[in-house]
Amino acid sequence: MAETLRRVLTRDGAAWSGEENTAAAGPPLLLLGAPGSGKTALLFAAALEAAGEGQGPVLFLTRRPLQSLPRGTGTTLDPMRLQKIRFQYPPSTRELFRFLCSAHEAPGPAPSLLLLDGLEEYLAEDPEPQEAAYLIALLLDTAAHFSHRLGPGRDCGLMVALQTQEEADSGDVLHLALLQRYFPAQCWLQPDAPGPGEHGLRACLDPGGLGPRTEWWVTFRSDGEMMIAPWPTQAGDPSSGKGSSSGGQP
Amino acid sequence: MAVVLPAVVEELLSEMAAAVQESARSTGSRLKFLFGSSATQALDLVDRQSITLISSPSGRHVYQVLGSSGKTYTCLASCHYCSCPAFAFSVLRKSDSILCKHLLAVYLSQVMRTCQQLSVSDKQLTDILLMEKKQEA
Repeated sequence: MAETLRRVLTRDGAAWSGEENTAAAGPPLLLLGAPGSGKTALLFAAALEAAGEGQGPVLFLTRRPLQSLPRGTGTTLDPMRLQKIRFQYPPSTRELFRFLCSAHEAPGPAPSLLLLDGLEEYLAEDPEPQEAAYLIALLLDTAAHFSHRLGPGRDCGLMVALQTQEEADSGDVLHLALLQRYFPAQCWLQPDAPGPGEHGLRACLDPGGLGPRTEWWVTFRSDGEMMIAPWPTQAGDPSSGKGSSSGGQP
Repeated sequence: MAVVLPAVVEELLSEMAAAVQESARSTGSRLKFLFGSSATQALDLVDRQSITLISSPSGRHVYQVLGSSGKTYTCLASCHYCSCPAFAFSVLRKSDSILCKHLLAVYLSQVMRTCQQLSVSDKQLTDILLMEKKQEA
C-alpha cells in the first residue's frame, strides 16, 4: 500500500519515472493523524488511484458513510473510478470481525486494495490488547487472502487510517505500539506549512525499510481539490522549510 | 504478502530445513540460543504432530496448534498472530520475544513440510476464525 500512496503523492509533483511496477501495492500502510488532518481524503485519493489502475475493485470500510466525497487529486471525480470503489459500513467491531472472517466466502473478484477508515473507533470498543491484535491480524490476513486470490504477481494492498490524539492515554499508546509492529509502513499527517502565511498538512511517509522517508505538502483548494507537492527542503536540511522558494508549489 | 520475519530468523529457519534430516545439533543450539526454551518446546510440538493446517476451498487457511496443556491455539501465519497468552504478554505487551512457541512451531513445520492437514468448508473456516473473537459479556 505504501507504493500506491507514494504514487498518489508523486503524481502531481516530481517526474513520473518509468520504473513503476503497477502490480506491486507495497507493504501495508498505517495512516496517522489528529482529527481533521486529511486522513479520509488521502485514503479516498488512494482508492481513486487504485481504481484507475484497473487491477480490480477497491474495498473501502468505514463506520459511517462519508458525508461528502473528498475531491482527490484529479479535477473531477471520474465516475468510472467511483464505480470500482465498494463501500461497506460495519457498524460495530463485532460486525467488522464478521466481515473479515467471512471475506473468503464473498463471491466476485478479489479487491486490489482494502482500506479502513477510523480504526480507532473499532479498537475503542475492545480495549483488550489481544482482541485488538486479532482485529489487526485479521485485516492483514484478509488482505493476504485477497492477494492469493488475485494470483501470482498481484497483490491486494492494505491501508488503514487511525486517529491520534494530542493527549494519548495508555490504551492508545498500547494500540499504537501494536499497530506499528504489524504495519511496516506509516504515514503521519500533521498541520504544518513550509513558510509563513502558508497552510496545509505535512505528510511524512516512511515506507518501512524499503526506501527513504519522504515528506509532502498537502493543501486543499477552496473547491475541495487536494494539491500535493514534495515538501520544500533546503539542501542538506530536510526539516527546514522556511524561506524556501515556491519551486515545489502546485 | 508474507510476514516479514527478522532476517536472522529467516536464515535460521532455512538452515533448520537443511539440517533437520541430519539432526545437526549445532543448528538446534542456535535455535535455542535465539528463542530459549520456546525452541525446545516448539521442536517438541512439531515432533508430536501438534500442528494442523486448516484450509478451505477458497484457499484461505489458518493453523491450529495443540498446546501441551491440551488447549488448542489459533495461529495466523500470514501476519504473525497467536491466540495464546504468552503471545499476548511476551510478544505484544513486553516486546521481549519475537515469537511464541506455537508460532515458531508453525514456521518450523512450514519449512520442514510436516503438519497435519484438515479441509473444511468456507463457512466452517469463517466459524473457526470467528471463534477467536470472545463473546461479548
